[in-house]
Amino acid sequence: MTDDRLDLPQGTLDLLILKALSLEPQHGWAISERIRQVSRATLQIPQGSLYPALHRLERRGWIKAEWGASDNNRRAKYYELTRAGRKQLDAETDAWQRLTTAVSLVLDMG
Amino acid sequence: MLGEFWSELRYRARAILRRNDVERELDDEVRSHLEYEVAKLERGGLSRGEALRQARIAFGGVDRIKDDTRDAHGVSLVEHVIQDVRYALHGLRARPMFTAAVIVTLAAGVGVNTAMFGILDRTFLRPPRYLIDPGTVNRVYVEWQRTDGKRAFDRSYAYTTYADLSRWNRSLSHLAAFAFRTMAVGDGEETKPLQVGIVSASFFDFFDARPVLGRFFGPQEDSIPAGRAVAVLSYGFWQSRYTGRHDVLGTTLRIGKSLYTVIGVAPPGFEGTSDGRASVAFVPITAFAATIDRNYYKNYGWGWLEVLVRRKPGVTVDAASADLTSANILSWNAERVLESGLAAASVVHPIAVAAPIQLARGPMAGPETKVVVWIGAVAFVVLLISCANVANLLLARALRRRREMAVRRAIGGTRGRLVQQLMTETLVLAALGSFAGLLGAQLAGGGLRRLLVDVNDAWPVVTDGRTLAFAGILTLVTALLAGLLPAMQAGGVDLAASLKAGTREGAYRQSRVRTTLLLLQSALSVVLLIGAGLFVRSLQQVRALPLGYDLDHLMYVETSMRGATLNPAEAGALADRLVTGARAIPGVTNATLIESVPFYSSEGRNLRVAGIDSVRKLGRFQLQAGSPDYFATTGTRILRGRPFTADDRAGTPLVAVVSDAMAKILWKDENPIGKCFRIGTDTTPCTSVIGIAENTKARNITGEGEFMYYLPMAQYVATLGQPSMLALFVRVHGRPEDLVETTRSRLQPLMPGSAFVTTQPFHQIVDPTMQSWTSGARMFLAFGVMALALAAIGLYAVISFAVAQRTQELGVRIALGARGVDLLRLVVGEGVRVTLGGVAIGTLIAFFAGKGIDKLLFGVSSRDPLVYGIVASTLIGVGILASAIPASRAARVDPNVALRAE
Repeated sequence: MTDDRLDLPQGTLDLLILKALSLEPQHGWAISERIRQVSRATLQIPQGSLYPALHRLERRGWIKAEWGASDNNRRAKYYELTRAGRKQLDAETDAWQRLTTAVSLVLDMG
Repeated sequence: MLGEFWSELRYRARAILRRNDVERELDDEVRSHLEYEVAKLERGGLSRGEALRQARIAFGGVDRIKDDTRDAHGVSLVEHVIQDVRYALHGLRARPMFTAAVIVTLAAGVGVNTAMFGILDRTFLRPPRYLIDPGTVNRVYVEWQRTDGKRAFDRSYAYTTYADLSRWNRSLSHLAAFAFRTMAVGDGEETKPLQVGIVSASFFDFFDARPVLGRFFGPQEDSIPAGRAVAVLSYGFWQSRYTGRHDVLGTTLRIGKSLYTVIGVAPPGFEGTSDGRASVAFVPITAFAATIDRNYYKNYGWGWLEVLVRRKPGVTVDAASADLTSANILSWNAERVLESGLAAASVVHPIAVAAPIQLARGPMAGPETKVVVWIGAVAFVVLLISCANVANLLLARALRRRREMAVRRAIGGTRGRLVQQLMTETLVLAALGSFAGLLGAQLAGGGLRRLLVDVNDAWPVVTDGRTLAFAGILTLVTALLAGLLPAMQAGGVDLAASLKAGTREGAYRQSRVRTTLLLLQSALSVVLLIGAGLFVRSLQQVRALPLGYDLDHLMYVETSMRGATLNPAEAGALADRLVTGARAIPGVTNATLIESVPFYSSEGRNLRVAGIDSVRKLGRFQLQAGSPDYFATTGTRILRGRPFTADDRAGTPLVAVVSDAMAKILWKDENPIGKCFRIGTDTTPCTSVIGIAENTKARNITGEGEFMYYLPMAQYVATLGQPSMLALFVRVHGRPEDLVETTRSRLQPLMPGSAFVTTQPFHQIVDPTMQSWTSGARMFLAFGVMALALAAIGLYAVISFAVAQRTQELGVRIALGARGVDLLRLVVGEGVRVTLGGVAIGTLIAFFAGKGIDKLLFGVSSRDPLVYGIVASTLIGVGILASAIPASRAARVDPNVALRAE
């Protein structure tokens, strides 16, 4: 276990999931793997929150789920962004970027 | 936004409706995730077993995550509730004794309170049905100064006064007058005494009611002098007597003396302002009044109507009262023009009061109203006791389930989830108990109401919205009160300790909470029982009051002539026939004609006595006239002199027997025998006093003896004219109830035309005056016994439980040489200690709170030591009994079995 992992700030999990799904539909495990890899293992999604988050997003209509066969013929539940989800991703990305820019500005103040 | 809403709805619906599918998918999803993780770890070189282990650790508690995911479904609440209800029902079925005890306890609490709520609601809160904007409507009372300096209230007005108030007020938009009377309704065999509403045409304008058939009567039918004899039937009477026939319009119905033409039918439940008693019909005031007194609208002598008013918009109650007061003074002055004897308004200061419509909230509410409030409070105490009891039972059960709870928390149940589940269980219990209670209230409620408010009409409990809503709220409150504490305790169970410890180690601890609850219960039952004792003693005292007549052996016979007109000779002959006829009935020992009836009707005349300016100022003098056997029949004793006899006839010197109180106030210490008073004016012949009768009660059962004078009926008829009524007192050998029907059927054939006879035991007329003590005694006693039973159940349950918990300890004690008696003493001592504590607290509460009911009691102090003593010893006795049974079990503990258990 390394110590350079970061705890996810509140509310960012949804954003990461939406982003992970923006390229192609994925199943739950793949989503967490993808986030881990892309963030160079800095972001570890607590598995305990992944599925509740997925179901929450599905309930809101931002993603939809479908059962399908995966690469090695396992059955898996694939999640896919909906139109509403794409819009939500854009809006949240935008908000996130403005927030981080603003925070950096403050931190760079000298 | 809308899309989100739809998605949400679809999702939730699927989650609820296709719960199994959703569950299976979740399982599959979790499994597939784990497989991926395992595959990845295997690729990294781990063995399958190790990979599986690490994957699981990384994933965390599967069930917990599934729980969280379900929460994210947004359905988990509903689902949990369904699951919890199932679980609760299962658990309750498994412990039938516990379940039954809780349900019975709750049913008692909720049932009693629901029934009482129905009564309180209708007595104090609920406005009459169909009444428009009840907040602007008032009943009018008048307060004035009596000659003895006291203020008194009245709400009966002459028609003329009502007309004056209508004319001279400035603040009212509507006025109506009404009276509800029991009258003979129908013809021949179908004749029954039933309640009829006598109302002004304006009365209907107060209500948002439309006739279901025909129409209401209007001003042209309710006009001076005699209106028109039309009637509007009540819906219930139309259904029962006419089976809802539409051709009833235009038919006639005999009410009292006259025939009324039916012109309409009121909507269901329309009662007007009759305070809960259903009427069969409504007739115009003017049409009815003209049959009684042709000059009713010109004079002020006949006060019989109540007045209902609606204030103009923006007019306050005080402003309306002030306005009515000035209108009433104008009316008073107009009355003085006609009746010179009337005191000036500046002397009596009449003040009109616009009061709430509900009689119980008006200034003339009787003691029975206060008793109803007290009983309401008592009912609430019963609820508290049952809550305490249930809480205790639940605590005991929770203790028994500590390990179950600990295990469930250990495998991932959250504390909130456990509390939720326990609360569900309590709610299920409360709902079952309430349902039983509602049924009980529906069944027993009728009796309760008759006891308290003397209303015969059925009030629905189970179908009445307000009552049901109340019961619902009550159920929730009860569940919260009784269940929250035990649930919190159980939910917060200390995991390690509970899992390690069997019931053997440290499981038995004196629970402070449970002891407190027990103390509370027994203290409250002490308070209730003391209340019961005080009312029972009051009732005894009231019953023991000398009334001056033999209440238990008298029957009252009343005739209704219904327009049959008899000349004086015929009337006299009929009276004689009735007396003779009554005497001939086996079981009847005597009979007399009477002119007035104590607690029912009275007659007074102006008296003139030499040396006294105004006899009237001394108080109210009441007249009674009777046959020669009057005193032998009523049992009123003659203290001095002689009663009148058959020889005191028309033509012989006028004689009278007077009550002791009357003799004392008129002639002080002088010998009253032979004294003279004149009835009417100074010029009427002298009536000589021939005897002094013991004092009798006629208006106020706890009051002083009345100023009564008794005249021989023959002389009364000769000097004062025809009696106002033809009525008899009949003395019977046994209970008057047994002879009521015989007497009626024997006397009825003697009556001419459609005239008829009604008979009733005389005590039925007097009983209502003892109502407040009777209902107080019965209710406090019923509730007190209920409370005692609950406290006993509680004590028994807790002690039994304690004994069961301490089996090992008791076993050790026996093994170490304790004898059965010692254990008995140990366990019973515990029960008695709690009971003694309860008695002490309860006595203190009663001692200080008792002042509040002092006014409702009679002849007994609210701190009556006898009552306190009896209650205390009863409670201690019950305490010993309730703990003796489990104690005897403790004494029989076999150390061998006890020490090996668990």
